[in-house]
Amino acid sequence: MKKLLNYAYYPGCSLHASAGEYDLSTRELFKALKIGLTEVPDWFCCGATPAHNVDELLSLSLCAKNLELAEKVEGDLAVACAACFSRLKFTQHTLEENATKRKQVEKAIDAPVKLDGKVKHLLEILAGDLGLERLAASVNKPLAGLKVACYYGCLLTRPTDVPNLDCTEAPTIMERVIEAVGAETVAWSHRLECCGANFTLSRPGVVIQLTNAILDSAKAAGADCIMVGCPLCHGNLDIRQKEIEGVYKTNYNLPVFYLTQLVGLSVGLGSGKLGLDAMIVSPMPLLKEKGLL
Amino acid sequence: MDARVKKKKMILSQGTMDVDFVRKVEALSDTSVRRCFQCGKCSAGCPMATFMEHPPNRVVRLLQLGQWRRILEGRSIWYCASCETCSTRCPNKVHLASIMDALRKLSWDAEGPSKESYVQLANKLFLQNIRSYGRQYEMRLAAVFNVKSGQFLKDLSLGPKLLAKGKLKMFHSKNRNLSEIGKIFTRIEEMRKNGEAL
Repeated sequence: MKKLLNYAYYPGCSLHASAGEYDLSTRELFKALKIGLTEVPDWFCCGATPAHNVDELLSLSLCAKNLELAEKVEGDLAVACAACFSRLKFTQHTLEENATKRKQVEKAIDAPVKLDGKVKHLLEILAGDLGLERLAASVNKPLAGLKVACYYGCLLTRPTDVPNLDCTEAPTIMERVIEAVGAETVAWSHRLECCGANFTLSRPGVVIQLTNAILDSAKAAGADCIMVGCPLCHGNLDIRQKEIEGVYKTNYNLPVFYLTQLVGLSVGLGSGKLGLDAMIVSPMPLLKEKGLL
Repeated sequence: MDARVKKKKMILSQGTMDVDFVRKVEALSDTSVRRCFQCGKCSAGCPMATFMEHPPNRVVRLLQLGQWRRILEGRSIWYCASCETCSTRCPNKVHLASIMDALRKLSWDAEGPSKESYVQLANKLFLQNIRSYGRQYEMRLAAVFNVKSGQFLKDLSLGPKLLAKGKLKMFHSKNRNLSEIGKIFTRIEEMRKNGEAL
């Protein structure tokens, strides 16, 4: 059957390692929705936070190279990881505005920079290109009764003028997507706060403090689970959750889903195709209780 | 940073105000520190301000006064999480997150006087991995970090759990087009040597 939409796909390093279930569920969901995804051949690491932290020129060059590689595949560039998404959008924005940096990057990659290709986060594809009505029409198993705390973190929306995904201070795109497939969302205070991101390697104490505040806020709002669109946020909220519970002598037991896992569940994909068993905080008791598995 | 440095008396004179350094920061970050009127919104929203000896608005104030050494000696710039909240909320469009990038780069080039070595080590290993493999090799990143930082037992209990869930890969293949990334690194190094880039 002919695909309605086709995209070049940039998974990013995490999706090939610690966030394998995000990659798996993205591919399976897109297949179920009849959206074409072709992985960009031989893509490189975008440099993430460490590159722009100490060497902006390197960060811009790595992303410009990836944008060049993506040109070879038909369709807009679909990005799953919030950090890769942010870096690629930053590169387009900076090189558009700053001719000196553009010249330097062209010299570094030894090729002209092309900025007309569109870079889209999965959320934009679901909410915009596919559209919420078509998404809702694909639902086989509405997520009725599931209370979801949508966690944006930093890089999906900030700063103003760069990702242009949604409003920077009061975004609703995640809520719109997940409500379209039947779930309930909760209003909570920490959906845009930072989880400590890559300090998870160098200064885990920082992550434990910041992530605890996020889990605490989601729990207080009555959420059953958290939904994210970033592998680093996921790592901090899910992998470190037990440790945080120990430090703060509390019990959250909040499964942390990737958006593609929850949407995938609603279109009728099973646990094996969504990588639910890879989650550290098991979602099985919750999903069984709600009759979703 | 210890209290001694923090309380060190600040003497403002032509001798202590290094404006050239500030111009470099402004060029790298494409933003002007002179636009800041110290409203403090950046520090109010900063999730990391509590870990810094100079909160973000003070970093800008110190730059305005040419007192960059005070910033680089401390750990504030290495405790910035790049969450972009400051840049988003600044009423004067001071792109503070980019200023932090510029400061870290200049400190990094000077093999920074900061005592905050863990974050710098993590960054260094991350970049080395890109050059050697093309993509990030998370298992190696964590293992080498623990060895080099002397924290052999850090997060050790997480290891088996992550391996069992398939979240840590023992082996990692290199990109087929790895030489292309090596060339990007070398070209940038050459441009810097020839004074074509900061």
